[in-house]
Amino acid sequence: MELTLGWLYPTLMSTYGDRGNVICLQQRGYWRELDIKVVRLDLNATVTDFDNIDLFVGGGAQDRQQEIVMRDLQGSKAQIMRNKIEAGTPGVFTCGSPQLLGHYYEPAYGQRIEGLGIFDMVSRHPGNESNRCIGNIAFRLTASPLVQMIQARIGGSPIVIGFENHGGRTYLGNVQPLGRVIVGNGNNQEDGYEGAFYGNAIATYAHGPLLPKNPFLADWLIETALELKYQQNIQLSPLDDDLAEKARKAMFKRLEVGKLAQAATSNE
Amino acid sequence: MKLLDRARLGLAVALAKTVTAVVRKLRLGAASVLPGEIANRLHPKLLALLCEQVREEIIFIVGTNGKTTTSLLLRTILEETGAKIAHNATGANLINGIITALLADTNLLGKLNADYAILEVDENVFPLLLKDCQPGIILGLNLFRDQLDRYGEVDAISDKWQEAILPLPQSTTVILNADDPTLCYLGKNLPQNVLFFGLNEPHLYLEEIPHAVDSIYCPACGASLEYQGVYLSHLGDYHCPSCDFSKAKLDINSQEWGQILVGVYNKYNTLAAGLTAQTLNIAMPLIQETVKNFRAAFGRAEELTVKGKQVRILLSKNPVGMNETIRTINEIKAQGKSETTLLVLNDRTPDGTDVSWIWDVDTEKLAAQGGTIVISGDRVYDMALRIQYSQQNLNNSDLNLIIKEKLKEAIDVALNHTPPEHTLHILPTYSAMLEVRQLLTGRKIQ
Repeated sequence: MELTLGWLYPTLMSTYGDRGNVICLQQRGYWRELDIKVVRLDLNATVTDFDNIDLFVGGGAQDRQQEIVMRDLQGSKAQIMRNKIEAGTPGVFTCGSPQLLGHYYEPAYGQRIEGLGIFDMVSRHPGNESNRCIGNIAFRLTASPLVQMIQARIGGSPIVIGFENHGGRTYLGNVQPLGRVIVGNGNNQEDGYEGAFYGNAIATYAHGPLLPKNPFLADWLIETALELKYQQNIQLSPLDDDLAEKARKAMFKRLEVGKLAQAATSNE
Repeated sequence: MKLLDRARLGLAVALAKTVTAVVRKLRLGAASVLPGEIANRLHPKLLALLCEQVREEIIFIVGTNGKTTTSLLLRTILEETGAKIAHNATGANLINGIITALLADTNLLGKLNADYAILEVDENVFPLLLKDCQPGIILGLNLFRDQLDRYGEVDAISDKWQEAILPLPQSTTVILNADDPTLCYLGKNLPQNVLFFGLNEPHLYLEEIPHAVDSIYCPACGASLEYQGVYLSHLGDYHCPSCDFSKAKLDINSQEWGQILVGVYNKYNTLAAGLTAQTLNIAMPLIQETVKNFRAAFGRAEELTVKGKQVRILLSKNPVGMNETIRTINEIKAQGKSETTLLVLNDRTPDGTDVSWIWDVDTEKLAAQGGTIVISGDRVYDMALRIQYSQQNLNNSDLNLIIKEKLKEAIDVALNHTPPEHTLHILPTYSAMLEVRQLLTGRKIQ
């Protein structure tokens, strides 16, 4: 079996190690003898390139780069993205990418950047005098049916870890958050939500990169893409994730996630 | 200087010097910043009062990579003329570190004895420092993605620099790397006396643009820049196809220059220090002689002998630097002179608390060479995971991956895996480099 992974604007939107998400998906496929072909969707990508994608990955960008992206992602390219995500094509969009999936993003300087409006949410930069949201982040997955599917796979209540670094703040409308913050800022430092989930698309502020240390998300994306493409039930074989598990444990310990998560549960 | 200022300055200096002595004596290892902090609190005008005493020129060196090596080369050149130099030599480039460095050359009456001050300045502190201290020369080396968690993004930094430099006297000389589009654009928009260094050596072009690249879009109009060739990361020969922005004309001919140490990045460092020295009217033969005889700065391609084994420490703190380091190691491996590499990843403040940059490094190139890779540091498992994903096959028998949480054990095992006549390469982040050096030499850095 094979998948075509579309990497959105890698030369413009890959500021914070988000390439790791692409590497992670590709290698986890390769180690299971699945062929995951990576297509770089840069400014010269065609409508057909977009149409062939089974799985989208998008990373973070500086404000100016984001403007260039939005000037390109218009018309039929934008329409295809919209249609595909509505039809359940899975994807993971980090930082700058979710900002462009919403209605608009207002940068610190300059004009409002119109987004694709796929997710009912808006993002604003409160100005360069405000602090950036920077630091390690841990959040509990809450989006349905994502959380149920992952629970069925790994059991327990899945906690996602990463590193956030964003100036913009995101406010959700009629769209599910991806999770609830245990440690960190999340979407806007105010409402305790992190990210958003729509169709099979994950939007998040968590770099890290996200997937290598949360391999259950990587495998869910691959499975979902395969199921959609081949219209059959897919069960991926397990991989040795011992190192990821140790990296997660080390971060949980440092952030005291166990204690905080327990306190949060007993308050609910 | 007013009498009262002088008296308070004397007091602040005396106290700071006592602290330095005590810290050294007790081997606390923080003598590069603590005295500066104490003295600065006692006397808020301290920095300005010290700076105005420098007899010839104050030189600021800013940029992501190469500050320490370039400073050291420039310092050595100037010392060859018999000049007395004040320099924040230990890589402590925040304001307290700079004050501490100047205090080292100040007597108890508050008199600074220095012809030149060479100050390595942290990218973000630079605008702040200009308020108290006016340099005659500002040397801008490059602007890479480094410690973005502290600094925000490359564009934002360059805007801040421009804002900070604009009000300086027109007589200030600004020396910039023309091969870096962001800095080139900055230079073209400054009213000061701007000089450019860079390479004009197409035979050094890379075959492809590496992934860890920041600004390949025109800083003037946002169009994609066209590169005739790339020397390192986004540094190269370029022009914009849609507006008239292009690489500035160079004020130095790189083909006429040798270089210090190894690697293209050190050619840039050589040209940067060389053009600065020329601007200070130092004779060419003396500059070139110093370049020829130069030895490595601490932690930057530094070589030690430990238990009869050769060890080379290569500071690796961002994707561009680490890619270059891997390129160098692979050349040495290809000659059969190196077997083992030790990677030490920390995430403390001087390292940057975000370690995601390791995914922008082409570690695949290191893993593909096989041998032994030992991993340690605060974020040992993050680096281990990066190396795991760098392997074609999950269980790659060509690569011996050893994980040690404790740095001392990691060093011991790495030395054990280094055959005689081979060199162990250690790639630490900044704070890890200090720890490694302490373990290898038994001394803290002062």
